[in-house]
Amino acid sequence: MIKQNNTIENLFTSTPDIDGYDFYFGPTHPGSGNFGVKLKLHGERIESAKADPGYLHRGFEKLMEYRIPIQNSMLSDRLCVLEPLGWNLVHAEAVDELMGNDVPERAKYIRVIMAELSRIQSHIIWYGVFSIATGFDTGFKIAFGYRDYVLDLFEMITGGRVYPAGYICPGGVRRDLPEGTEEKILKVLDKINEMIDFEEKGNPVLEARTKGIGILKLEDAIRLGATGPVLRASGMRSDVRIEEPYEVYDRFDFDIPVRLEGDAYARYYLGIDEMIESIKIIKQALKQLPGGDYITPSLKKIKLAKKLPEGEVYVRNEVARGEAAIYMVSNGTEKPYRTKVRGPDFLHMIPVLEFLLKGAHIADIPAIYWSLNVCPADMDR
Amino acid sequence: MNLSILPDIIKNLFKKPITVQFPFESIPIPENYRGEHAYDIDNCIGCGLCAKVCPDRAIEMVELAEEFKEKYPKKYPKIDLGKCCFCAFCEDICPKHCLKLTKNVFLSTFDKSTAIKYPTPANQSE
Amino acid sequence: METIENKILEKIKSTFRVDGVVQRERRIWITIESERLVKICQWLKSEGFVHLSAISVTDWPEEDCYEITYHLWSYNEKILLTVKTKIDRDNPLIDSVVPIWSNNAQIHERELHELFGVKFHGNPDLSQLFLEDWEGPPPFRKDFDWREYLQKEVFDPKNLREQGYYDKTK
Repeated sequence: MIKQNNTIENLFTSTPDIDGYDFYFGPTHPGSGNFGVKLKLHGERIESAKADPGYLHRGFEKLMEYRIPIQNSMLSDRLCVLEPLGWNLVHAEAVDELMGNDVPERAKYIRVIMAELSRIQSHIIWYGVFSIATGFDTGFKIAFGYRDYVLDLFEMITGGRVYPAGYICPGGVRRDLPEGTEEKILKVLDKINEMIDFEEKGNPVLEARTKGIGILKLEDAIRLGATGPVLRASGMRSDVRIEEPYEVYDRFDFDIPVRLEGDAYARYYLGIDEMIESIKIIKQALKQLPGGDYITPSLKKIKLAKKLPEGEVYVRNEVARGEAAIYMVSNGTEKPYRTKVRGPDFLHMIPVLEFLLKGAHIADIPAIYWSLNVCPADMDR
Repeated sequence: MNLSILPDIIKNLFKKPITVQFPFESIPIPENYRGEHAYDIDNCIGCGLCAKVCPDRAIEMVELAEEFKEKYPKKYPKIDLGKCCFCAFCEDICPKHCLKLTKNVFLSTFDKSTAIKYPTPANQSE
Repeated sequence: METIENKILEKIKSTFRVDGVVQRERRIWITIESERLVKICQWLKSEGFVHLSAISVTDWPEEDCYEITYHLWSYNEKILLTVKTKIDRDNPLIDSVVPIWSNNAQIHERELHELFGVKFHGNPDLSQLFLEDWEGPPPFRKDFDWREYLQKEVFDPKNLREQGYYDKTK
């Protein structure tokens, strides 16, 4: 805390502003992740906020210019720590469209199942961390206990609990589903239903701390570039899976939940509604799963010198946090010439957060900050 | 005083604890897990594809010591486990299937030099 | 057969003189000169392209230019339109689109100023975003070799812990 204009000489000549000071809600705070916010306070109200990103900047866009596409799909799951399979899918779709690959039907269904399981796992983390930041400690422990069932599924299918090392690669998927996977997935979905029944009972402390806090109106949300659950909680019905269906999403029957209030309570409960829709999608996909190849036959063996045709593409997907996109340019060699990664958190954590924190109390910072579902790795890349 | 919790307390007194006592027992590891490498030197043809595809540059092709050069004249891979990210691309690209990933995940050590695996012929491994 | 993408492209071509192409369904790419950028973007926003998805810069050192692309999405028609312009590489200067798309465009331009060195005329705040106390050239250009830069500026050959980094030639 640094007091402004408060030297010994000033005390006798002017009335000092003893209530105004600077405050750093910083990267080593246990409630903020790897991200800092510089605040100017007056008493207990925030006058202005300035975000301080850059603690996780690894330079992905330049790293991807020196490696071939199959090595890049190993790098793409480190773009966001909390949801690796979703970003694997975006990168694989971009390379598939550049090369003109023909992905078989079974691979498309497996990709959709893995992406929806990863969305469920990411919303469980959101629930756990949001509960503990506002004081509901039991919710955190129950959430991370149920997340372990989903991670055991990933371990059995891809070979790793958190990082699947490029499981969704250009052309299809790297390995087929082992024996007995379908029954195990249905058992895990029953357990997730138990957790959703527990969550819907609610908690009075959580409701008192989040209702009416951090209201984001619709025209501000569109002007500042918000997408995903943050935009849907303000009243706009928009989702990339319905507007431009990719993979096989147009064959399933699911709904898009929308809320109108726009406060932290609405954003948080939207995550629970989305989990119910994801469970519906996985059950329909398991019923329709066909047989056949799991990867295009021409890409089954890794080829080191396969050239990418010239051109450029822009691919959009819906990950758990919003709209993710990759813009890829190729000039005829085997490495991509330029890859631009657009993450949803780049817009949520800098313009939207600075707008919402203006005029709020200090005690409301955790409720506002964690209701935006932040992931600092996605913002810095 | 609320006595309705008493049956639960007495039941839990006689149950086995749920903690897994780690160095003496461990949870079961599934079949396809990506762990330490297992290398078969007699089938290797020394093509060097595993060193070219590794995204972290953890594999380097080296020659063996003088006494083995007559039977194994080419260059063979040396793996640095400190740089490896266990992605299994080297297993997928090997044309003779002589590099495989096993289920051994207990690799912690206090001595950094044990993290580098040199290619040694089978009857001399220590 | 008149698809909706062709209709929109014809409308743009009749209002301004631009070249454009329809790549596949829901994707239109047009190319314009950098002086007319703000006027065309203002007309496009009033036609329904309210969401700015991303701004990106590609570096072409043989043609001696930077290519800037603006990706716009329309919620009503559900179409993505990309606007491409070229500017000079040694003195990169272009007008900013902050008066049209507000803080959304401002944060993208701040990142590109730091990583590529492009100056946006009219942006209120172009301070450092990711890199702290950086004094070298813009790092994402094609002629920046980070290994040489680190070996000259930061590497200390007498430090025992850093001995093994620059032994090999590459």
